[in-house]
Amino acid sequence: MAIAIGIEAVTREFGPVRAVDDVTLSIGAGEFFTLLGSSGCGKSTLLKLIGGFDQPTAGRITFDGRDMAGIPANRRPVNTVFQGLGLFPHMSVAKNVGYGLSLRGLSGKALAVKVEDALDLVELSGFGPRDVNLLSGGQRQRVALARALVMEPGILLLDEPLTGLDERLRQQMRDEFARLHKRTGATFILVTHNQDEALSLSDRMAVMHQGRLQQIDRPALFFDQPANAFVARFVGIDIQLKHQGVTGHGDAAYALICGQKVPVRIGGPAAPSQTVVALRPDRLFLQSQDEIPLQEHAGRMMLTMVESRFRGLHHDVTLAFADGQTVVVTQAADRPVPEPGQTVAVTIAAGGAMLIPTADP
Amino acid sequence: MMRGEGTLSRALIWTITCLGLAVIYAPPLYLLGVSFNPALQPALPHVADVTLKWYLALAGEKQLIAALEQSLLIAAATAFAATLLSLMAALAYVELHARRAAWFLTVLLPMFVPGVIQGLALSAVFQRAGVKAGLLTVIGGHLLWALPFAFIVILTSFGVVRRSYLMAAADLGANRWQQFRDVTLPLIRPGLVSAFIFSFLLSLNEFTRAFYLAGRQNTLPVVLFGKMNSGASPTIYAMSGAIFLLSVFCVGLVLANVLLKRRQPA
Repeated sequence: MAIAIGIEAVTREFGPVRAVDDVTLSIGAGEFFTLLGSSGCGKSTLLKLIGGFDQPTAGRITFDGRDMAGIPANRRPVNTVFQGLGLFPHMSVAKNVGYGLSLRGLSGKALAVKVEDALDLVELSGFGPRDVNLLSGGQRQRVALARALVMEPGILLLDEPLTGLDERLRQQMRDEFARLHKRTGATFILVTHNQDEALSLSDRMAVMHQGRLQQIDRPALFFDQPANAFVARFVGIDIQLKHQGVTGHGDAAYALICGQKVPVRIGGPAAPSQTVVALRPDRLFLQSQDEIPLQEHAGRMMLTMVESRFRGLHHDVTLAFADGQTVVVTQAADRPVPEPGQTVAVTIAAGGAMLIPTADP
Repeated sequence: MMRGEGTLSRALIWTITCLGLAVIYAPPLYLLGVSFNPALQPALPHVADVTLKWYLALAGEKQLIAALEQSLLIAAATAFAATLLSLMAALAYVELHARRAAWFLTVLLPMFVPGVIQGLALSAVFQRAGVKAGLLTVIGGHLLWALPFAFIVILTSFGVVRRSYLMAAADLGANRWQQFRDVTLPLIRPGLVSAFIFSFLLSLNEFTRAFYLAGRQNTLPVVLFGKMNSGASPTIYAMSGAIFLLSVFCVGLVLANVLLKRRQPA
């Protein structure tokens, strides 16, 4: 049965470093939750704390409300697919997959049936007698998954399980995770630095930075309302502009960027001096010269063309404000690209510009 | 020109190799030859004179046989104890983090104490404590000698035991003992076997410490040395020859085993 996880004010210190810094989070039973962050942000440490491989310095971790303090990894209803997989090199595929159940006292026919079922689940039927050292990367990945899933865990932890696989295998295994999550109904927690994985798999996700959770939301909300500049940059909203002030409020708020009024949506109550204007790249459009008069207009920025870079299906067009801040707009490959130095207009579709705090509050 | 150079360097390499092998194997082979000589003076026999009489005479050499038995007993006990203790020392090393280096040097230190000094020191201490010299005192001395070597051999074999294997085992429900039994032990088994053999041979060979620590029954190296000096019968050559042949036989057995295994998967 799926298990709900409660993380209450958990801190893990390594000497002077706070790898996990006062994290509070609740993950629902059966949810697919992703911890997203760059390396060293504390996401793996948090996963180890949930798995019982490490103890928090402060705070509580509960499974279905039950405090897990003092319960070691081997007695928690959690199974893990480790980053390095940790397949036992001296055991066959079947022995690897069956190891956990044999510790529970299962043997003979009953064990063999369970192992074969688990191998079926990951589409490795008949691989039982093989040597794990002679499998391909993707197959080893599946063995590690089968070994964890055969235990029918309430919680499955996935620690960067797709690192080191080539792109095609990544896609394949990603689909596999989604399918297995539906099949088993367990709570899945994925740790990754790859935002594509996080976005395509998760019910909810959290972006982590320097031991703290920056934002916990459904994936789509990270684009609609990034909590701060770090989160926005992490999900690919790279254009973040300094402004000279904000006028108006609600739907009629404008930020002043280098003398131009840009309509913005105000996300939070942060003081204007500690905010930046984030521009969603999918809501910026380069206007062709002939259709518009070259004058300032709300929802439109007048910028100077700097350079253009060919990207295959599109061009990345870099444009600059008078003070040097740049904006990159994508332009379809078959559309014309302005000459450097030319003044061009960029329109911002509704919700394309957001006023967000510079760092976490 | 190039080919000429190639042939020359190849000839040179082979010459050096053969010379090296000769230096290593000529003395024991000479001894082996001597052991088949019916004469009392050590020399290579004529083909016509080759005899097994000294080997047959070995059976009557009560002193040599007793020394051999003693040596084998001591070597077996030393190898067993050294393997077990150095396994535990290696496990401690793996668990220690910051103080690893200090622990490593502590276990290794006896290796750097010269045998003459260690034998003398041990014998003085044993005498002072009222422990009678005998089987156990020699085993004690040999244990100190073999332990550092066995420790290094086993520690090297721990290189294949990755942390993630133990974490995975814990994740699947294994407690510390089960992790050790099911993961660590099978992975380091080659190291344990090597450590056992190594300690066994180190003990079997050892002279200095045994010389100080043996009681009424001397070990084989001590007895052989004594007989050598007192100009005894050529049975000592037969004993050396027998041990040499046995060693060659054992190594041959291992080699054959390895070759067979290699051929099987292909």
